[in-house]
Amino acid sequence: MSLGSRKKMWTVALMTAAVMTTASACGGGSGGDSGGSGDKVKIVFSYWGSDARQKLTEQALKKFEEKNPTIDVEGDFSNWDSYYEKLATKVAANDAPDVMSIEIRGLSEYAGRGALADLAGKVPSADLDQQVLSSGQVEGKQYAIPTGVNAFSMLANPSVLEKSKQKLPDDKTWTWDQWIELAKQISAGGGGVMGAEYNPNPAWLQIFAAQRGEKFYDGNKIGLSVDTIKAWWNISQQLIAAKAAPEPAKSAELLTAGPEQSLLATNAGAMGMWWSNQLNALSKASGQELELLRMPREKGAPTAGMFLQPAMYYTASAKSEHSAEAAKLIDFLVNDPDAASILLSDRGLPTNSKVLAAVKDKLPPVDQRTLAFIDEVKGELTPITAPPKGALQMEDILKRNTDEVLFGKTTPDAGAQKFLSEANAAIAG
Amino acid sequence: MHESMSDSLSVTAGHRRPPAVNAHKKREALTAYVFLAPWFLGLFVITVGPILASLYLSFTDYSLLEEGSWVGADNYVKMFTQDDRFLTSLKVTTIYVVVSVPLQLAFALLLALALDRGLRGLSFYRSIYYLPSLLGGSVAIAILWRKLFGVDGLFNAVLAVFGIEGPGWVSDPDTALGTLILLHVWTFGAPMVIFLAGLRQIPQSYYEAASVDGASRLRQFRSITLPLLTPIIFFNLVLEVIKSFQSFTQSFIVSGGNGGPVDSTLFYTLYLYLKGFKSYEMGYAAAMAWVLLLIIAGLTGVNFLASKYWVFYGDTK
Repeated sequence: MSLGSRKKMWTVALMTAAVMTTASACGGGSGGDSGGSGDKVKIVFSYWGSDARQKLTEQALKKFEEKNPTIDVEGDFSNWDSYYEKLATKVAANDAPDVMSIEIRGLSEYAGRGALADLAGKVPSADLDQQVLSSGQVEGKQYAIPTGVNAFSMLANPSVLEKSKQKLPDDKTWTWDQWIELAKQISAGGGGVMGAEYNPNPAWLQIFAAQRGEKFYDGNKIGLSVDTIKAWWNISQQLIAAKAAPEPAKSAELLTAGPEQSLLATNAGAMGMWWSNQLNALSKASGQELELLRMPREKGAPTAGMFLQPAMYYTASAKSEHSAEAAKLIDFLVNDPDAASILLSDRGLPTNSKVLAAVKDKLPPVDQRTLAFIDEVKGELTPITAPPKGALQMEDILKRNTDEVLFGKTTPDAGAQKFLSEANAAIAG
Repeated sequence: MHESMSDSLSVTAGHRRPPAVNAHKKREALTAYVFLAPWFLGLFVITVGPILASLYLSFTDYSLLEEGSWVGADNYVKMFTQDDRFLTSLKVTTIYVVVSVPLQLAFALLLALALDRGLRGLSFYRSIYYLPSLLGGSVAIAILWRKLFGVDGLFNAVLAVFGIEGPGWVSDPDTALGTLILLHVWTFGAPMVIFLAGLRQIPQSYYEAASVDGASRLRQFRSITLPLLTPIIFFNLVLEVIKSFQSFTQSFIVSGGNGGPVDSTLFYTLYLYLKGFKSYEMGYAAAMAWVLLLIIAGLTGVNFLASKYWVFYGDTK
């Protein structure tokens, strides 16, 4: 081996090492905040959703940048499944986005752990629906501004009902028993159509419990009684026993497959419970006009139990170096008709009365019907507050325990006890 | 530096050989380390650092969103005394490993034996059978599995031809784990290829001698193939046990991310992930990771100890 080649070898080795170190250093630094783009302030806005939402949001952000030439907004988009992991990791790494989208179940988690800034007085909120706005408060501080609202309601397909010679019920007075009966009739009416599909959504249990005078979350405890949980499971059990809804295994599969594959969306079922903003996707998939209905009631229930749920919230990072700009972006997104005329009802129906008046005519027909429906039931709604920490796990806990009961792995009594202890443990943590 | 280098070089070329060789070796080692430096950097910064950090975190209540505080061995104690789901996940994973690994290895060996009989187009078949191993851990296959074994899936459609009404294999708590075991057995390609290589190393003369002595094929398999293949079986066993204890994707995708139905497919790693990223109990998740490491290390140790009694290395005796 000659000296020349040895020298060359060393040079190559050292250069490789140098390149590797700098490369990894660059990798670590590229996520940095300000700087770079001249005297513009750069803020990051994180959100989740579909491709359609990403396109709309990018458009809205561009509009905001036009109106605020000194601010540069970077949209940080991810799909729903990985959203919270990504967000939590960023918050943990002290690299939290300046403006973050969070839904109601995650609000206490983030606010309670000091990740969010109090937005009271920073984002004008006088024109927003005050009751909905108050759901963005945790311990008296306005950590979150609602993007828009949804209602969990019964959706029905009138033409499927007609085929089985049934009529749409009067949703002002109908009870759970009548709903079950109707579902049975539809299933029995032939045509291979299922009367109903059930879904272990905590929102349904929340409505059902409210009709019995119980709160899902009562402060930092679960306010549900064993009887209520059992009665709620009993509805699904009756449906399954009468073949008015699919068996548990099929239901589980439908749930995993998502709204577009549901019985309602594929015209294989007559009724199902969904969030009102899902009406759009469901109608599109079904190709038929679907009807929004009030949820059935318990006999003699004092209240309908339905509620307006903010589709999601805009929040700002407590550690943001550009909190003024972050507040400005949130202000634009909820208060500016320009933003609303792009985003429309994608993040729920806007609650800002002035904005709503300005964009009402631009809303697609389906959204206009949802708006009319919400207006109609407005007087019957129950106000809601942000659930405690740990609420993010509630859907899983409820689903698991519901499955255990419906698959016959445990008795409703034992299942209800187990649900309560698991749910209480989750929100106590 | 250059000076000394050229000095030592001239020594290498000189007469005093032993020390020169020594110096030469040292220098070669140094060169090797310089070349390895980038990799070492990665190892320490990206792998060893986080591993040690996770050991520390396992003794805290770190939540990912806020700093944790020291809680001693609480996480470890809680796992075995208060957490039913942890025990469920341990049970599910153990059943999965105990059932699927032997089945998979038996299947792999069977096919390797079949392919070893001088089949024409061997490399083609080998590739075909290896394919599932490449795909088995992937998201796409997991989704396919969900479709295949659904209530209205292909599998039930086939059963329907024979008048059998199958359950929703992946969505019924009684059968869901079975479908995942099947998926694992299906990925027999990697051990099969290793078995094939092992079979090739058994000298043909042994079989010839046995034939002359009138030994049946079965006898030949029991007395020649199996004993000489034990090191390979052992190797595959250790590898597959480690791999299957760490399975994640199948359960994550097939169950829709929650180990359902009714925790019947709640793999250990999936529960670890749920704890860390869904319940924000990262300290607890870190503790679980260390327990998993101990379990795997323990099992591998037991495997090695037991191997003394059944693994036959041709060259030692």
